Amino acid sequence: MYDWAHWLPLAILTPLLGAVLTPVVSLRSRHVAVWWSLGVMTVTSVAAAMLIIRVALEGPFSYLPGGWEPPYGIELRFDEFSASVSVIVLIGWLAVLYSLRYTEWLREVPKQRIPYYYSLLLLNLGGMIGFVVTGDLFNLFVFLEILSLSSYALVAFSGEHIAEMAAFKYLLMGAISSLLVLFSIAILFGLTGSLNMADVATRLSSAESVAPAALALGMLTVGFMVKAALFPVHIWLPDAHSIAPSPISAVLSGLVVKIGILGMIRIYQIYNTAGVIDMHWLNHVLVWLGAISIVMGAFFAIFQDDIKLMLAYSTISNIGYIVMGLGLSTNFSIIGGSVHVFNHALIKATLFFAAGCLIYRTGYRTLTDLRGVGHSMPLTSIAISIGAISIVGIPPTAGFLCKWYITLGAFEAEQPFFGFALIFGALFIFIYYIRMVNAFYFQAPTHPEILEVKEAPASMLFPTLFLAGLCLVMGILGRIPLAFIEPAAQRLLAPLGG
Amino acid sequence: MLEALWNNVDYVASVVLFCIGLYIIIAKNNLIKKFLGLNIMETAVFSFIVALGVVDGGEPPIMGPDATPPFASPIPQALVLTGIVVAVSTTALALSLIIRIYRQCGTIEADELREME
Repeated sequence: MYDWAHWLPLAILTPLLGAVLTPVVSLRSRHVAVWWSLGVMTVTSVAAAMLIIRVALEGPFSYLPGGWEPPYGIELRFDEFSASVSVIVLIGWLAVLYSLRYTEWLREVPKQRIPYYYSLLLLNLGGMIGFVVTGDLFNLFVFLEILSLSSYALVAFSGEHIAEMAAFKYLLMGAISSLLVLFSIAILFGLTGSLNMADVATRLSSAESVAPAALALGMLTVGFMVKAALFPVHIWLPDAHSIAPSPISAVLSGLVVKIGILGMIRIYQIYNTAGVIDMHWLNHVLVWLGAISIVMGAFFAIFQDDIKLMLAYSTISNIGYIVMGLGLSTNFSIIGGSVHVFNHALIKATLFFAAGCLIYRTGYRTLTDLRGVGHSMPLTSIAISIGAISIVGIPPTAGFLCKWYITLGAFEAEQPFFGFALIFGALFIFIYYIRMVNAFYFQAPTHPEILEVKEAPASMLFPTLFLAGLCLVMGILGRIPLAFIEPAAQRLLAPLGG
Repeated sequence: MLEALWNNVDYVASVVLFCIGLYIIIAKNNLIKKFLGLNIMETAVFSFIVALGVVDGGEPPIMGPDATPPFASPIPQALVLTGIVVAVSTTALALSLIIRIYRQCGTIEADELREME
């Protein structure tokens, strides 16, 4: 019998093996690297598509590598949250295509090193896919480290003069958070004697003592908060995400920070099932931190002139939305938050791709310098405008549904204050994106030659426009992901009420 | 209370080491020293995991004709081995970043670097 679950290890191993082989296949000519990576990502996309079809038809399923039964063997588990591999392979594929021209343009990077860039990018994507499908706590840590280490290196790749500083800051905070995660996994292992998530959850309910479990929960939350760049520990994000090469910024901002969120979801699943700790206080903390992130991120973004720095601050704000949705822990808010993981990835990748096109053609990166670029690069500017209205949450676009659901959730939880915080944040966001659109279309150019630049090359324009189109389509077809994630949200919620 | 701490002195030691490492990262100015702090934290976590595998009077878990339980748990050692590999690659990456920072800025003191930014 043909079992679709066999695609699961393939989806992880293809990008990881592809990454290892990239420098080898491009020994003769470095131009092979990009096509090789595209091929690897295509195979991975097919595998991901198969898995998503299976989970949509039959619900969550497991795969046991080597046939060892859990809890002794490793378990790969694919559930509705794992369906985020769809957006990982989509943005990953487009980022590879986008890099075709962009990496050649990075002047500081020696040309013969470019294959290593693709190698790191594939490692990063493979680590993320592994992270979202694993059912084993230690595997979770290993994949977390694969994706984190490759992101630190990729940030340094742009060769701008403070790139290494930004990468080092990112590395230091990221490594501390990874160690917190590892420490708490060790505590859970010591308490339960198991590493399988489902098994840990059942054994935790009969654990001898609650205090170490609570300590582990706290450290895991802080660890994943750093990865997700939530408010008090967001300080690494603006530099790292704005300095990185634009396709990498899209991957980091769209996907890598979401890994922190997905990690939190996994951990809370364990603790909710075990039911040993009252999660209400934690949810309350998360809602507050989310609300502060929304307002702070949006507020700082207003004062940025650098377009990528502005987008980076807006990521902090949007992570706030997702965390607030999870923390409110009502049906609507969790669905809204989970779908925003997906939609924000699309929107933010659109914006970073478009910003990369502008920087590629003009060489400027501040709004003042980019004035008037809307006339010479109309398609890119349309893409960036679509991204902007999506992220504000104006109805026909992808951002609207999630924010609407989270706001509904705030009212459902009888905490309307947070609903207002959300709308307030959206207003701030509206201000800074209006500033951007205004600069591109309506202000007199600071540099007259900007009116002469050509539209971005097709390999960069296609990913940008494709994602911008998806932002619109996902707004109209928004019911599909909402209905898809609902059973998972119910599962996450059910032990809380009972 | 004190007796409980003394009975678990290995766990206490690793938590203390962890905090020392964290303190060094926050307090020291030199990037290499900061990074040494991170290595101390890593060691703390690894020693904690190894200590988890200890069973009183435990034998090495190697099956054979004269193998007698209790056995020490082998899993933590496998975990730590993986952890060490991760730590080595983190160290390599961080040191290479520090070298490039030094080449570009001529210093690896955090406060001087902050002024340059």
